[in-house]
Amino acid sequence: MKKGMIKATDAFERVVHWSLALSCILLFVTGLGMMFHSFNFIGNVMGGLRSLKYVHNFGGLVFAVSLVLAVRMWWHEAGKFEMPEDLEWMKAAGGYLWHVDNMPEVGKYNPGQKAFFLAVAVFGAVMVFTGLLMWFQPLSPGLLILMYPLHALGFVVLFAFFFVHLYLGTVGSPGSAPAMFSGWVTRAWAKKQHPKWLRETEESGSLEVYGEEKKEAHSAH
Amino acid sequence: MAEKIKLYDDSKCTACRGCQLACKQWNGLKAKQTKNLGTYQNPPTLQANTYMIIRFQDVEDDKGNVKWLFRKDACMHCTDAACVQACPTSALRYNKEFRIVGKDLDRCIGCKNCVAACPFEVPKYDHETDKVYKCDMCESRIVNNMIPACVKACPTGALQWGDKDVMMKAAAKRVKELGGDANIYGDKVVGGTHLMYVLKEKPSVYAGLNQNPHVPYSVLLWKNLLKPLSLLAAGGVIGGSFLHYIIHGPKTPDEDGQGSQAEGGK
Ligand code: SF4
Ligand code: SF4
Ligand code: SF4
Repeated sequence: MKKGMIKATDAFERVVHWSLALSCILLFVTGLGMMFHSFNFIGNVMGGLRSLKYVHNFGGLVFAVSLVLAVRMWWHEAGKFEMPEDLEWMKAAGGYLWHVDNMPEVGKYNPGQKAFFLAVAVFGAVMVFTGLLMWFQPLSPGLLILMYPLHALGFVVLFAFFFVHLYLGTVGSPGSAPAMFSGWVTRAWAKKQHPKWLRETEESGSLEVYGEEKKEAHSAH
Repeated sequence: MAEKIKLYDDSKCTACRGCQLACKQWNGLKAKQTKNLGTYQNPPTLQANTYMIIRFQDVEDDKGNVKWLFRKDACMHCTDAACVQACPTSALRYNKEFRIVGKDLDRCIGCKNCVAACPFEVPKYDHETDKVYKCDMCESRIVNNMIPACVKACPTGALQWGDKDVMMKAAAKRVKELGGDANIYGDKVVGGTHLMYVLKEKPSVYAGLNQNPHVPYSVLLWKNLLKPLSLLAAGGVIGGSFLHYIIHGPKTPDEDGQGSQAEGGK
């Protein structure tokens, strides 16, 4: 690790992120294997059509647990919009689509990330809820059948958002991915993407910089 | 070969249940201990080990006379079959020759989508095998030029199997003979069923008979709209991301570190 790198995430955050992400990808793959007959081969690759169901159902349980942890962990930082700066950020589309001179300063999460977090939280919960009902079928036929289009709707949203997230977490925003691998990002990246967070944590002394002592508040070691 | 249907005429049925037994026998379905619920209808509904039952029903007419009504309850073999649309593995699929809904048991993964989708509550799930079972119109028999086992066993001619047009003519003729409320059930729903009834009474008189069966709107929404939309939306995002990358470019941290290094120096 180079001196001066900034700590953006702790190990627990990264473990939860990846258990949510990998279980989600597994659910996409097995779900596609069941939604499209032409993708049935995915089941055969996994050792039989039946594995589609088992991997999907039990992967869903891992996803459910990860989702609960993720929501509890990120809710207070990513679950609330800050007005008016978040509104201005959205009006400027985050500076992603056209040139914006005075971007409102972004904190730990920008409104796009917050929207993504909320979409995952809400539709993730829809997926878990409808999935469990389809698995155990405790409902009357008229209600039960409604769970299928809801589950499919959740897939439409999450599958599309997944690619947005993938792009903006990698090539679309260089320097972001390390936040979820090593947890350390460059100061230049933090300055560009989350200037308000950088300034505030620096002022309060809670910012961890590699090779430097924390200024105050030695609560963690 | 032509499309075929099975025709059931309740006015000729004596509820001997020879068909119910023949079905068990041909399909090798074990009997389970059942309870006497005060009716000959036994078991009370279709089961994983019972692909058809004869339903028994007492109805009173205007003069207070009690009549017995019978109905053969089994898979209707819909032309637009909700179960086929919902099945993820094509375990349920159309037989191209006869247009009936056949079943490849070894492909069934026991997801119960078909159970939720069928407007007639036909497919039944079995916990032990983790699969779903229903009448397959004796597919292994009909493809070998034999008639379904239940039809073979019927002693009164209440069950017939034949080309659709021939059967439809016979049904129309029978409805005329019977007069009154007699009607054909099945030809106008779910694209036409392949188990059709000639009923003595209006369909609404028969307990448990769906008056307006159709592929659930949920299934249509799921399969015809959301399913293709999922790929379109994801494809749009991938295409959009690529365009963003080549037109606007990624959001890169300022290389000169303007301001950042100065501050970071402290
Ligand atoms: S009656 Fe039900 S199980 Fe039979 S073909 Fe129609 S939808 Fe499928
Ligand atoms: S339970 Fe079996 S037959 Fe029914 S939809 Fe699922 S895989 Fe198809
Ligand atoms: S067609 Fe065959 S499987 Fe279907 S009810 Fe008749 S005997 Fe049973």
